[in-house]
Amino acid sequence: MLRLSRRGLGALALAAGMAAAVPAKAADDIVLGGSIPMTGVFAFAGIGIQAGISDYLKIVNDAGGVKGRKVRFAFEDTAYKVDASVAVFNKIVAQDKPNLYYGDSTAFSKTINPELERSGQMIMAGASFATELNDPKKYPLQFMAGPDYTEMFGILLRYIAKEKPGAKVAFVNSDTEFGRDPIATSEKKAVELGLKVVEKIVTPPGSVDVSTEVLKLRRSAPDYTIFHGYVMAPIPEFIAQAKQMGMTSKFMGTFWSMDNSMVQKMGELADGFMGVMPYRYYYDEDGNAPMLAKIRQMRPEYQSTPYMQGFLTAMLMVEAAKRTLDKGEPLTGKTLKAALNSIKDFDTGGIIGVPISVPGNSIPVGRIYKADVQKKLMVPASDWIKLEQ
Amino acid sequence: MRIASAKESYATDEALFDSAVQRAWFAVLLLALALFPFTVNQYWAYLACLAAINVISATGLNILTGYTGLVSLGQAAFMGVGAYTVAVLEARLGTPFLLNLLLGGCMAAAVGMVFGIPSLRVKGLYLAISTIAASFILHFVFANWTSVTKGVSGINVPPARLFGIDLDTPFKLYWVIVPLAVLMLLGAANLFRTRVGRAFIAVRDRDISAEVLGIPLLRTKLTSFALSSFYAGVAGGLWAYFFRVVTPESFPLLMSIFFLAAIIVGGMGTILGGILGAVFMTLVPELLKLGVGVVSPFWPEAAVVLSPVRTVVFGALIVGFLVFEPQGLTEMWRRTRRFFHLWPFKT
Repeated sequence: MLRLSRRGLGALALAAGMAAAVPAKAADDIVLGGSIPMTGVFAFAGIGIQAGISDYLKIVNDAGGVKGRKVRFAFEDTAYKVDASVAVFNKIVAQDKPNLYYGDSTAFSKTINPELERSGQMIMAGASFATELNDPKKYPLQFMAGPDYTEMFGILLRYIAKEKPGAKVAFVNSDTEFGRDPIATSEKKAVELGLKVVEKIVTPPGSVDVSTEVLKLRRSAPDYTIFHGYVMAPIPEFIAQAKQMGMTSKFMGTFWSMDNSMVQKMGELADGFMGVMPYRYYYDEDGNAPMLAKIRQMRPEYQSTPYMQGFLTAMLMVEAAKRTLDKGEPLTGKTLKAALNSIKDFDTGGIIGVPISVPGNSIPVGRIYKADVQKKLMVPASDWIKLEQ
Repeated sequence: MRIASAKESYATDEALFDSAVQRAWFAVLLLALALFPFTVNQYWAYLACLAAINVISATGLNILTGYTGLVSLGQAAFMGVGAYTVAVLEARLGTPFLLNLLLGGCMAAAVGMVFGIPSLRVKGLYLAISTIAASFILHFVFANWTSVTKGVSGINVPPARLFGIDLDTPFKLYWVIVPLAVLMLLGAANLFRTRVGRAFIAVRDRDISAEVLGIPLLRTKLTSFALSSFYAGVAGGLWAYFFRVVTPESFPLLMSIFFLAAIIVGGMGTILGGILGAVFMTLVPELLKLGVGVVSPFWPEAAVVLSPVRTVVFGALIVGFLVFEPQGLTEMWRRTRRFFHLWPFKT
């Protein structure tokens, strides 16, 4: 016979109590699902993204939600693995029926696209700025909360062409899909802008010893060197060796290597390091930025650039949902994307310094920032640059 | 209590199932597998398919490493060969789905044999290192043979079609992947009732003695590589239809280590080991997530705080199994069975 001890009974009672105390999920909640990399190689970004999305939804819900409907964030960790991301997607779709979704990688965005189109229930954005995804015909239900990688290069090249017409430029990228993404298209763009691409260096992912590559770079003596496809290593190694050899090239990066805390880890080497950033930094108090003030109020400690990316993505998704409901339409992939594309000269509350529009799958806006080692901050080096689409 | 099953002929001694009870349980298992997708949501159907694909590939590696004693770290790369073959055939030629899978398996087998050649000279860890070369060389080929593989951006695969139905959801694919897995497992189990399979075991136990007994080492080792890679190729082909996009980064070296870990955790040199190991390695991280899911309604930050803990727990579980059960999950399964056989007496 089954006999329950007193302790066992207590545990059962506790479990029953816990089950009863689960907060009810309202049926008309709008759900933002997420495959978020909270562990693994991309965890630094995932943690920021999760906080950014959660904070924005808190602001929205505290203000009464979207037409009285709360927006709920249902996410799980993916460890930045595609199969785990797809598992999370399937789980959240089955349990929560999301209308909005945040994906963690280019590979995931590509993998899930057929399913996204088949179900037609949601729009998706994510951590990928891959050029390939910036094609509304191939990826009709996806978007990205910023410029794609080719557009990031476009912004950098535009800046270079203005600062030093006819400058010599070198590209250094990792041998990954991420790294190779903008190289071929940007080379053409550079020529159009009257710049000379004097060297293209490809390094294996995770390479540490870059001495031969630095020698190659020195021989071509570029005025500007653009790194892409790295988060940090081997950028510091490159810069250290190049400076030792007396190179005068300026070094630049793209979104994922531009977080302030990462850049400042380079110490003195970071001096003069530049790059493209579509968002304002956490500490930026210039101009009218009520959202940044609110973020600083909610979280007194520094928040990373992935946080801003998550925050803005949630903002655009909620805006799309709001516009769809305002029109009295049901929330589906098609209606949400149409509403998203109707966003024109939208004020992000200062997250991006100029009003933005989302005519296609990307927001081709950014600004050049430069590391100031004394202040330990990234400071603006240009005004906001908008690329025509 | 069952005392023993008397065997009166060689045929019964070799049989896959040695009693009617076992056959009955196997029938129950098949029935449960058939009913499973109707009782669960898309998430569990997805996991079942993923586990089945991993079971096929792990069983392939088990043939090579567990039964023939040749350690390989190239399994994921051979899966890649199968996946790319299937992707190219499906996207460019549109040949039938099952034929693509077969050709994917054959292509992987051919490539596997080439990378198996060093096994004639080197063994153990040295062979493991030389099979890593497969991983790097094939990755390079996938990334740079752009006219065929479309380079780093990879190939999008149209859904598999069978009898005019697009197999585009885990639920539909389940009906292809799981039966194929069962068939391939039965194939592997039967292999070791034949001369070829026994030759593998002889080579594993002592290759010199095997040669003295008249087993040609060259042919046997390469056959083992070919068969193992065939399994990997078919698993890779199913993977391609399942994820619908194949890129050079889809099959990293880490994935090969995953399969090696799966057969070690499951139990090398037993068919059941490959199954249990692959299922364990695929499902336990997901089950640990359920734990996080249970507490998150009360503690919204649970996923943030517990995610790193989860990976540590998974790692600790693997170490724990290796320390306390070096024979793998199979041995635990056998012990459980023995307990019921001998009940109410103790083992």
